Amino acid sequence: MENLVIERTEATPEIHFDYLTGVLALRGESYPENAADFYTPVFKWLRSFLASNHLNEIVANIEILYFNSSSSKVLMNLFDLLDVVSTQGKRVSVNWIYDVENESALEYGEEFKEDIKFIEFNLVKK
Amino acid sequence: MEMNHFFDYQETVNDNGIFLTFSGLFTQEFIIKLGDALKSKLSIFSVDRSLELKVFSLVVEQSQNIIFYSAEKSVQISEQHENMGVGTITVGFKDNHFFVFCGNRIANQKVDKLRQKLTLLQKMNKDELKEYYKAQRRITPDTESKGAGLGFIEMARKVSQTIEFDFFKLDEQYSYFSIKAVI
Repeated sequence: MENLVIERTEATPEIHFDYLTGVLALRGESYPENAADFYTPVFKWLRSFLASNHLNEIVANIEILYFNSSSSKVLMNLFDLLDVVSTQGKRVSVNWIYDVENESALEYGEEFKEDIKFIEFNLVKK
Repeated sequence: MEMNHFFDYQETVNDNGIFLTFSGLFTQEFIIKLGDALKSKLSIFSVDRSLELKVFSLVVEQSQNIIFYSAEKSVQISEQHENMGVGTITVGFKDNHFFVFCGNRIANQKVDKLRQKLTLLQKMNKDELKEYYKAQRRITPDTESKGAGLGFIEMARKVSQTIEFDFFKLDEQYSYFSIKAVI
């Protein structure tokens, strides 16, 4: 299975999901007009990865400076999916990387953290 | 537009503290450029990163609402841009606050539902808005709501004064919807 690599644009983040290491990285800004459409291939890759994956540990590094409300919903879906995975014997951690100058980024991270149950959710200062 | 009206337009813009305004066709590509222009304008005010992103967020949410919900489309370019809408946005700074004012035509039959939704948001405090936002984020959007239905809640959470809105009936088919967010 190949890695998932999507180049960054002004309104969509750089995405690098590594099959061998289990490191999932999202970096940039996310305000496509239709976030559900944009992230469809990301979820598709992730589902195949989870179905075929031999790793016991998955790490997601999320560093998003700004995201629109429809991307917020997509991120919640992503964390929900990882939350389910972590109940199936895998260790899943999310590093929510935020800029200290951006108060909202920390608040958003805290709100996601409140809404997930099982994964280790770290708020990491940049 | 008559020449003397043009002066009135400039005076109106200046008197209201408006530093960025656009009226016409919104597409995603245009919103990205508008965002660039906004960031450049905001740098003049030397605002901190947090405030800059709040204003940016309001402009993106309101502009994407125009794409999704404006009843007015441009037939000429509809083949190139499936998603677009006509509307107006203004961004300004007055009385020590930034504001984003936005308007577009909507179909009359959509007025009641939108009015109810916005009235509900007006009555909520910040904690209630947060819980409502989180609850709505988990439910599947209805078919009318392309932007996940969270945009207005997001706006209501960011403002420092209650959001204001208005519906003005234009004819049997359309109304003009406007909304103002002050940070």
